[in-house]
Amino acid sequence: MLDAVDLTCEAGEIHALVGENGAGKSTLAAIAAGELSADTGEIERNGRIGLVHQHFALIDRLCVWENVVLGREPRRLATIDRGAARAFVRDLGERYGLDVDPDALVEDLPVGIRQRVELLRELARDPSILILDEPTAALSPGEVERLFSTVARLTQNGVGALVITHKLDEVFAHAERVTVLRRGRVVERRPVAEITRDQVARAMIGGDIPSIPSHQPTNGAVVVRVEDLAVPGAIEHLSLHIAAGEILGVAGVEGNGQSALADALAGLTPFRGTIDRPAAIGIIPQDRLLEAVIPAWSLVENAMLGRERAAGNGSWRIDRAAARAQCTAIVERFDVRTESIDAPLATLSGGNQQKLVVGRALIDNPAFVIAYNPTRGIDIGATATVHGELLAARNRGAAILLVSFELDELFALSDRIVVIARGALRGEFTDRHFDRDAIGRLMVSA
Amino acid sequence: MKRESMKALLLGTLGVVAAMSLAMLASHVSPILGFNAFFYGAFGGKQEIAETLASTTALLFPALGIAIAFRAGLFNIGAEGQLLVGGLLAGWIGTRIEVAPALAIAAIFLAGAFGGAVWGAIAGWLKAARGANEVISTLMLNFIAASLALYLVTGPLRAPDAAGPELSLLPHAYWLPTLLPQTRATIALPIALLLAFALRYVLNRTWFGYRLRAAGEAPEAARRAGISLSRVALSAMAWSGALAGMGGAALVAGELHRFNTQLSPGYGFIAIAVALVGGLEPLAICVAALAFGALESGGLALQAAAAVPKDAIHVIEGLLVFALAARRYLGARGATTQ
Repeated sequence: MLDAVDLTCEAGEIHALVGENGAGKSTLAAIAAGELSADTGEIERNGRIGLVHQHFALIDRLCVWENVVLGREPRRLATIDRGAARAFVRDLGERYGLDVDPDALVEDLPVGIRQRVELLRELARDPSILILDEPTAALSPGEVERLFSTVARLTQNGVGALVITHKLDEVFAHAERVTVLRRGRVVERRPVAEITRDQVARAMIGGDIPSIPSHQPTNGAVVVRVEDLAVPGAIEHLSLHIAAGEILGVAGVEGNGQSALADALAGLTPFRGTIDRPAAIGIIPQDRLLEAVIPAWSLVENAMLGRERAAGNGSWRIDRAAARAQCTAIVERFDVRTESIDAPLATLSGGNQQKLVVGRALIDNPAFVIAYNPTRGIDIGATATVHGELLAARNRGAAILLVSFELDELFALSDRIVVIARGALRGEFTDRHFDRDAIGRLMVSA
Repeated sequence: MKRESMKALLLGTLGVVAAMSLAMLASHVSPILGFNAFFYGAFGGKQEIAETLASTTALLFPALGIAIAFRAGLFNIGAEGQLLVGGLLAGWIGTRIEVAPALAIAAIFLAGAFGGAVWGAIAGWLKAARGANEVISTLMLNFIAASLALYLVTGPLRAPDAAGPELSLLPHAYWLPTLLPQTRATIALPIALLLAFALRYVLNRTWFGYRLRAAGEAPEAARRAGISLSRVALSAMAWSGALAGMGGAALVAGELHRFNTQLSPGYGFIAIAVALVGGLEPLAICVAALAFGALESGGLALQAAAAVPKDAIHVIEGLLVFALAARRYLGARGATTQ
């Protein structure tokens, strides 16, 4: 995973560690924090290194203070001194500007607050260095700002912060130094003031960023119409429409009704209201490994999923030759890099798996496509392929619903953006005139 | 991979031999004499081989059925009840119809399949419509099946001429032809083997089998691809029950020649072990069924010749499944730490 990597993080600095997925960032973080061990080399720690995981490691059924003091509970005889624990958590929160109710249950908290709990838990252990692994992946722009002001406060107190990210905006807005990791090696390290965005991006992928097709003018009729949609517990009174040859972007913080909207449109969840859409539909699910593929199966069998009956051509039997031809077509057209179409899908990189998923959704030129975080967790090259194919499908006249937690992705692809918050649409931006600040405010509006 | 499975097979065999030796020593029997008795009982002569084949057959039908459910991600532990209901319906049909023997035998097997399918489908329907856990429902349906059968054979369906609670004897012409004359090995064995090949084909080459495997392997991905998990649960449980029910029909028409509640000494449960040892692959299950069939008949001989309780054999079968489950669990853990 890693090869002869050296890295220093100094007290009081914000150091950004960037690289594509699979470059070894998380591995490096885990080694630094002592969760994994390196084969060779050494780690010198002045004090404790705390690690805030990308996927939170909190116990949902416990409350905030219980999570924070877990493993170092203040004791009174054989019991936990609850009063002391609560006071400790409250003081810690005040000291770092992390405002959380100590008695709230973690499972009731939104993602941004859960992250504060994660931070508190690490801060309770008095780290000299804090590593944040992709801390902004699930945050709204407002929460991102808030997080970085907290990090700034930490560094003022002499804590060093190592922020792992692949968002270059964050690097240039907040970090003092940047280290670029590619395929387990350090390829660039400089103060942020001495390097440009373009140089960092090129260092990350080791070449030029592939270009994607432009938005061709299309003027299609409305093919998807949603009127007064309601999904219990998730969506109320939502109406929208998508025209042929249009990408409608849905901006919002995770957990504000996007999944219910996509599931209702896909026919996977019961709803009230009307949905008028074409029968032929291509779906790119949000969780690749859980919802889109069967990792242990071959590419051929995965390419068949959802089309297995069509692969039988009306008989009970699966036409293997046709299924293989179909898989080969997807692999070639969507640039899926594999040694063989009979290899288990799990042997492919995340980006290549995702290209197969996207290819499966688009190969039949469906009139309507639902793409849910279509590039989450994949590298820049694969992202460019997926973006290019979505735009190509749009230019061919497909109506596309694009749900994404990355505003940059929405801005790059959408013809129109709607903002969803608490299960309702809060605003609409047309003609590719997108205002990042306004969208960010609407995302957290009540 | 191949080497790995060879190693597993060798270790498994050694483990069984060691466990059996311990059981013999605990019963103050020399393992040499004990194994001699065991192998003689399993393969020593025409009669012994036939006994082994009969046990193999009785285990193979329900094991194949269990594999269908397991491959669909459903833990069907109700094969015993499905086998009993299938046997009941088969034994009843067999005494009610008067047609050519070949037709009658076909009708008996169909009735067995139908009875088992209905019993399996109840659990499948409960799962599909209400989300009821199939482990609980199939387990409970075993008790219901046993009570229902007991009620019917002691009451409404009891044979007027019978000494005990049982149905009438099938006409001699409907008895399954034997493979070896004057033994219990019948043509039910080749029927079960044919079913194993058919099942392999269905699982691997048809879209029905594909959907079933997808639902078992990755239910969420299957659901999102438009596969109805309810329909898979219902049909997988029905087919699973149908195969177990055919096993009941084979026992009725091939061994007892009538239905009574003593039809199965727990074949439906041992078949779970057979299906697991066979890795849920139909052809490997045939081999596993033969091994368990030999353990059954050899164990009986061991008990008769050397007073090693037959339960010791069941303990060993249990240990085998336990070891397999542990291996799978440890294997899965090894894979995730990669």
